[in-house]
Amino acid sequence: MDILIYGIINSVALVLMALGFTLVYGVSRLPNFAHGALYVLTGYITWLLLNRVGLNYPLSMVIALAITGLIGAGMYHFILVRVRGMAISEIIASYAIGLAILEGLRWGGLKGGTFTLPPFVEGSVLLFGVSVDYQRIIVVVAGVALVGLLLLFVSGTKLGLALKGMAQDEQAAMTLGIDSDRMAVVAMAVGSVLAGAAALVLLPLASIIVETGYNVLVMAVAVCIVGGLGSWNGAILAAFLIGFAQILTVVFLGAHYQIAVALIAIIFTLIIRPSGLFGRQKELEERV
Amino acid sequence: MRTKARLLYCVLVVLAFLVVPLTVAAAEQPILLGCPLATAFLYGWDSERAIKLAVDEINAAGGVKVGDKKQPFAVEVIDTRDLEAAVPVSEALLAVEKLILEKKVNFLVGGPVRSEAALAVMPLLVKHKMISILTTGALTPKYNEIIAANPDKFKYCFRISGEAKWMVMGELVPCLEEIGKKFNLNRLMIMVQDVAHARAGGDILKKVMSGKGWQVLGDPVVYPTGTTDYSMGLLEAKKQNAQVIIIWMDMPESAILLKQWHDMKIPALPFGTIIAAAEQPGFWKATEGKGEFCLANVVNAGNAPSNATPWTQKFVDAYKAKYGLEPEGYGTSSSYMSVYVLKDAIERAGTLDPDKVADAILKTDIMGVYGRIRFDPKTHQVIPSVDPNEGAVGTIFQWQAGKRVVVFPPKIAVGEILLPPWMKK
Repeated sequence: MDILIYGIINSVALVLMALGFTLVYGVSRLPNFAHGALYVLTGYITWLLLNRVGLNYPLSMVIALAITGLIGAGMYHFILVRVRGMAISEIIASYAIGLAILEGLRWGGLKGGTFTLPPFVEGSVLLFGVSVDYQRIIVVVAGVALVGLLLLFVSGTKLGLALKGMAQDEQAAMTLGIDSDRMAVVAMAVGSVLAGAAALVLLPLASIIVETGYNVLVMAVAVCIVGGLGSWNGAILAAFLIGFAQILTVVFLGAHYQIAVALIAIIFTLIIRPSGLFGRQKELEERV
Repeated sequence: MRTKARLLYCVLVVLAFLVVPLTVAAAEQPILLGCPLATAFLYGWDSERAIKLAVDEINAAGGVKVGDKKQPFAVEVIDTRDLEAAVPVSEALLAVEKLILEKKVNFLVGGPVRSEAALAVMPLLVKHKMISILTTGALTPKYNEIIAANPDKFKYCFRISGEAKWMVMGELVPCLEEIGKKFNLNRLMIMVQDVAHARAGGDILKKVMSGKGWQVLGDPVVYPTGTTDYSMGLLEAKKQNAQVIIIWMDMPESAILLKQWHDMKIPALPFGTIIAAAEQPGFWKATEGKGEFCLANVVNAGNAPSNATPWTQKFVDAYKAKYGLEPEGYGTSSSYMSVYVLKDAIERAGTLDPDKVADAILKTDIMGVYGRIRFDPKTHQVIPSVDPNEGAVGTIFQWQAGKRVVVFPPKIAVGEILLPPWMKK
């Protein structure tokens, strides 16, 4: 039972980490390698507002998310738009921004394990005899809610439908009058907010540490590659596969090997099905 | 004639202005200390602060007497990044080489912090005849073994802080035995980080405690650097009725382990042999008290307040006055002492010549912040003890009501070990 419960929690955590990355790639074909940095940045801004400015927790979170969204939009508007379409340049530019954010935070004093966010609810409960803290239950609830909200947004709003159109076929969407760059800005803003939202739910379980940014990026990339770049359904399925594989690895092989799971998953995917479980980009080549 | 005299007078005045400052400058030529440290981590930044504190104190008192002149210390810190996950050892090597070749430092104090990096640097020290006093991290016993195998070759390598074997045999095991007797506990689980000193320490501990009637529950659980979820390990500990969990991790993520331990109410006493997060004074606030009852071995006295020697509290107060917080954990007092030991050795040698200073360091015998400081002539390791009058004394404290209360060794303890309420039957 503990494998099942903690497998679900771990998988949903991975979904949260990867959701923003997938959305941005799905809409604009832009691999946002600053994703992990935005995750840490949101946590740190919230910590600053809470501990230095003295705002209350919910308000700090909302402001931090807004700032992260603006930074995401600004990243595209001022920098990434110039390299759009050049895959390697996109990666280098976004990774450089992420590096600047993370190392800037480190330089600014984000060191050690003393930067933490309080959990939303203190305490733990026994679920089928397994001890689970409330914050982890909140992670699962938040994960389901965020995925649901995202689905509602892309299916029920004009802006969301435009994003969906872009994700499905950029050329066709453009012929219908959808502004590709505007949608990319929106996607970057929403993707950044999603990275931030993941941080706000997950960081109370951990500490705000610069290294987390690199870890979150690796996990998000792994989930997206296994699921198929840009596929939201694929990302969710991949998160569950990797999430459960990690927990099983810890139980049966040892915690030591957990870190290798995501990397092995990437290698296997690239060998067996390079476009990922739900990927479409290279479907034709694979068939050929 | 008058004009000539005036001209001569002017020349003399100009010369006086030129020569006198040059002479003063030569007298004040600083002795440059190179500090290769992982500055983003506790064991790096606390060492940097402690070294700078000692340097400031020594300079304020007139500097170091080298022969018949006094020279101040200066510090050059370089970030080795060797405690970061996935940063190769070669980075630390480059950092040390830069200090030696580019910055032209006279001595090295501090790191490299990661054992693997400290071992790799040893041949460099020999090549450049560079005295190095390790003050933080690098707990591997291998360091002494290499020196002991060839003391003449490695005559420039010293370690003034603890090493894993003594930490286990001299401090951890006796403390565990005391806990076992006091609370009738004997089921042990070991959780270590995937780095050389922690893996070695975990294996030694398993072997030793198994031979002392304790039930060690499986092999040490090895976590990669940067692990952020310990749920499954803690659930396993609960399932197997572990009563003490030994944690040997120098990564900041160890705070997460303790938060999870608290939230899941795991009925086992957490005992950090090396536990970077819990050592810091800010840990209580960061975890909102969730780390209460955690024991932490901070290796040398002075890294938490105690009265081990008359100098201990004086050091704690000076650190607090300069940085606004108590000494922060492993590596603080030893880094501070390394500068004083070097000053003492240079003054006795009367020169900066590395061979003579190395010989002088070997003859060190001073009462420091954590007891009597002497080096083993064969291994160049500071001689440890549980009595500050005999050697470098360690410190194990427990978080109790927001304070770091020293509970071991008995000679310097100021409080008793307590169990968390959910462990009491």
